[in-house]
Amino acid sequence: MPDELKTNNILVVDDSPTMRRMVITSLGSLRRVKSTQAGSGLEAIERLAIEPVDLMVLDLNMPDMHGMEVIDFVRSHQAYRNIPIVVLTTKGEEASRTQALAAGATRYLTKPFDPRQLADVVGSLLERADG
Amino acid sequence: MDNPDTDNRGDFFEQFLDDYYAECDEHLVSIRRALVILEDEVDTRTVDRTLLDNLFRSFHTLKGISGMVGLSAAEQLAHDLESYLRELREGKVVFSATGFRALVDGVSLLEGVINARRNEQPSPSIEEIAARLQAAAAESATSDAERSINSDSTNMPALLRWQAEFTPTAELAERGVNVNNVRARLQELGQLGQAKPIVKGAGEIAFQFIVTTDADESALAALAVDGLTFKPAPLDSSQRAKDMQPVPTIAPASVVRVDLDRLDDLMRIIGELVISRTRLEDQVKDLKRVTAPAVWRSLQETSLGMERQLRDLRESVMRVRMVQIGEIFERMTFVVRDLARESDKKIIVQFSGGETEIDKFLVERMMDPFMHLVRNAVSHGLETVAEREAQGKRSEGLLSLSALTAGERIVIKIADDGRGIDRNRVLSRAKASGLANGHVDLDDSTLLDLICSPGFSTRDEADRESGRGVGLDVVKKAIEELGGRITLATRVAGGTTFTIELPLTLAIAEALIVTVNGQRFAVPQSAVREVLEVESAATKVLENNEIIPYRGKVLPLLRLARVFEMNDQREARFHVLVLGEDTNAVGLAVDRILGQREIVVRAIKDPLAQSKGIAGATELGDQRVVLILDTTALRQFATTTRH
Amino acid sequence: MTLMEPFILFELAGTTYGVRSSFVQQIEMLDDVASVPNAHPAVEGVVLVRGQVIPALNLRTRFGFEKIERDLRSRLVVINSGARTVGLVVDTAREFLKISPDSIEPPPEALTGLSGHYLEGIATMAERMILILNLDAVLDLEYENGREDYGSDVRDLGQQP
Repeated sequence: MPDELKTNNILVVDDSPTMRRMVITSLGSLRRVKSTQAGSGLEAIERLAIEPVDLMVLDLNMPDMHGMEVIDFVRSHQAYRNIPIVVLTTKGEEASRTQALAAGATRYLTKPFDPRQLADVVGSLLERADG
Repeated sequence: MDNPDTDNRGDFFEQFLDDYYAECDEHLVSIRRALVILEDEVDTRTVDRTLLDNLFRSFHTLKGISGMVGLSAAEQLAHDLESYLRELREGKVVFSATGFRALVDGVSLLEGVINARRNEQPSPSIEEIAARLQAAAAESATSDAERSINSDSTNMPALLRWQAEFTPTAELAERGVNVNNVRARLQELGQLGQAKPIVKGAGEIAFQFIVTTDADESALAALAVDGLTFKPAPLDSSQRAKDMQPVPTIAPASVVRVDLDRLDDLMRIIGELVISRTRLEDQVKDLKRVTAPAVWRSLQETSLGMERQLRDLRESVMRVRMVQIGEIFERMTFVVRDLARESDKKIIVQFSGGETEIDKFLVERMMDPFMHLVRNAVSHGLETVAEREAQGKRSEGLLSLSALTAGERIVIKIADDGRGIDRNRVLSRAKASGLANGHVDLDDSTLLDLICSPGFSTRDEADRESGRGVGLDVVKKAIEELGGRITLATRVAGGTTFTIELPLTLAIAEALIVTVNGQRFAVPQSAVREVLEVESAATKVLENNEIIPYRGKVLPLLRLARVFEMNDQREARFHVLVLGEDTNAVGLAVDRILGQREIVVRAIKDPLAQSKGIAGATELGDQRVVLILDTTALRQFATTTRH
Repeated sequence: MTLMEPFILFELAGTTYGVRSSFVQQIEMLDDVASVPNAHPAVEGVVLVRGQVIPALNLRTRFGFEKIERDLRSRLVVINSGARTVGLVVDTAREFLKISPDSIEPPPEALTGLSGHYLEGIATMAERMILILNLDAVLDLEYENGREDYGSDVRDLGQQP
């Protein structure tokens, strides 16, 4: 089955390069996964235009375009509507949990995050999408 | 799952510590720059919203990444800083001097906390500052009427608005054309609004930008390649104010992220290579007598080749320290825009030579002086629209910032086409304050000296744009401390040009690091002719002077420990640095040589810390000060005490 | 009504001193001080603060008190007055207090000599006595006319022309 061999492309969106590396390294334990990075909301959307994306790990507070706007954009366009979005944002903005989930985030995790938990969440979302 | 199993987390994130420190440094640099601008907005009602947003985001990011590496003091402090900014941003508190100070101290403490971790030292306590920040955030708000953060751009000139559309593709991205650099190019044209992503008919993604510019269509046409199209923007007045929000530009420019410490490491290793090569060269010389000439020549050629390669290597690493001066210029447009917005002035800022490279260290040191000169040009030099039109000048004032390299120096000009400096007024003011008397021929250079005198100001009341906190005297001093100079050319009604010349490489020097009585000192490599290792038994005392045999003659010894009135513990073997030539040569005796380093020379400004024999200070990456020896003064010391 | 003015308070030999917080650039933990050869005895050395090399002036020595070992509570109060930036080494510093100018009295006549000269006034706040420093006098080491040997150097360098 070709799907069996498919490599999933995870788009990691965060304005902090250190945070992006942390996320990507945490996801390193998953099989058949590659990552692409974007440093802002705008860049994230540009990545969507350029290559297929299977899942997004998305920070909220970013320059140029807020993560919430990215969720809005992704969810309101047919071609991207089904991409799972894991919001990964810094603790202390609990109000945004409800907003993000209401806008269409698939999961909501906070930083500091546990690498294993992030990998588990992403892994199970990908399995669900594949299956 | 708010409380995940954290057992391995600490270890896991240890591997990112270097990235963490590098990113912290970047944020701290842009935070400090933002604070410089914010300082002038204390107690005003026009706190720059973009600046606050950027600061807020920096603190937010620092909080996030500090939390990840388990540095909870930094996380907490960044959180308090962020919270205070949130209150400011939402207009809930007035930006007071106390608040500003808490902000500044908070940032400096945050830096301290991060550095403490970096140096594996105990973290300073954050409670006091945290409490001050919390208090500042809780300061009572002003009345609604006064609460207008971010003035509206009411006196923005009526320029043409265009709608640009960019459609990204994989090919364009491969060629490096992407939404970020398209945006940067549009930004050069004029005011750029928020980018808006859209999905077009066929399902492709595109970005729309609204750009407000005085550029003509041919300038736009030049850009209309690479998937970019233009059409006049639809008029939508409700949209307008939002579009005018300037696009943030203070995010650190991170083409390649290099930790200065790592560069220092590289330089240190290169330094060691240079020493090894010198040793090799000596050994090759020794071989001359016992080696066949052809073999020997080839050996020597290899050694000389290595010397050249090492020099190239060193220069390449140095180049990594360089940043483009355009970054500073861009910051200045920020300042100009804000100042112009508050006055009846229209100003066009022109750059040239923005790609000229300047050492990162110089950039930091020059930021305040530049800012001051630019502010001066805007608030004192350039006239209001009405004044200019009355004189038949173009209504927009011109401020031009340019840079070029000339030999070993970088020349930066800050020029305006404003009213010029009024010599008579300067002169009468100088006389009134006793700085000048009788007839004075006021050429440009005397004029500059006068206006750079401490406390001199041609305005009776320094208005806030005049760059509170730094006078022209401080500007001049700062430039001179960096080994540069500033000159002035001014013409009434014609404008004023300040020209700053800085050495390209001044702040950096090769030095030998030595210890005396446990304290480290740096000795400029250029002053050291040779390094000897000496046995105590080999020294002789001659008429109260210690001497050693050296190249068939005698070399007088100057014991640094004695000059500096330190405990002079005589070791059985010690090192001697030979300073000066022939009969003037003096041997500086130190305990040990630790190695060769590239150092950043810092001036010691306060008289309390100045001392004969000390030329300046440096720091070797551990935040500890190392004094730089003034070899000229030390040699004089030797000659005056020798008799 | 007069405006309350903020002060940074610090302790020295059991006494509380205050300096206007507008003169205080920051308060630092004190770790490594590089000693400066042949400097005034009250100058403990130099430290790096915000990229600037500044002198650390030991206030105990400056005021003629017994010198003590630095400990975890020791602080460097970085003063920025006009063109000068100098760090003051104090026993500890952590308080921030608003003082009304009304509660500051000039130092009593009896306090003459060196210690009197360093004071701008004495504030009494709810049973507490706070000695307000005259920073210009504190930073002017020539005042004592002590060591002539470096006095001339100090005069030549740095002071405003």
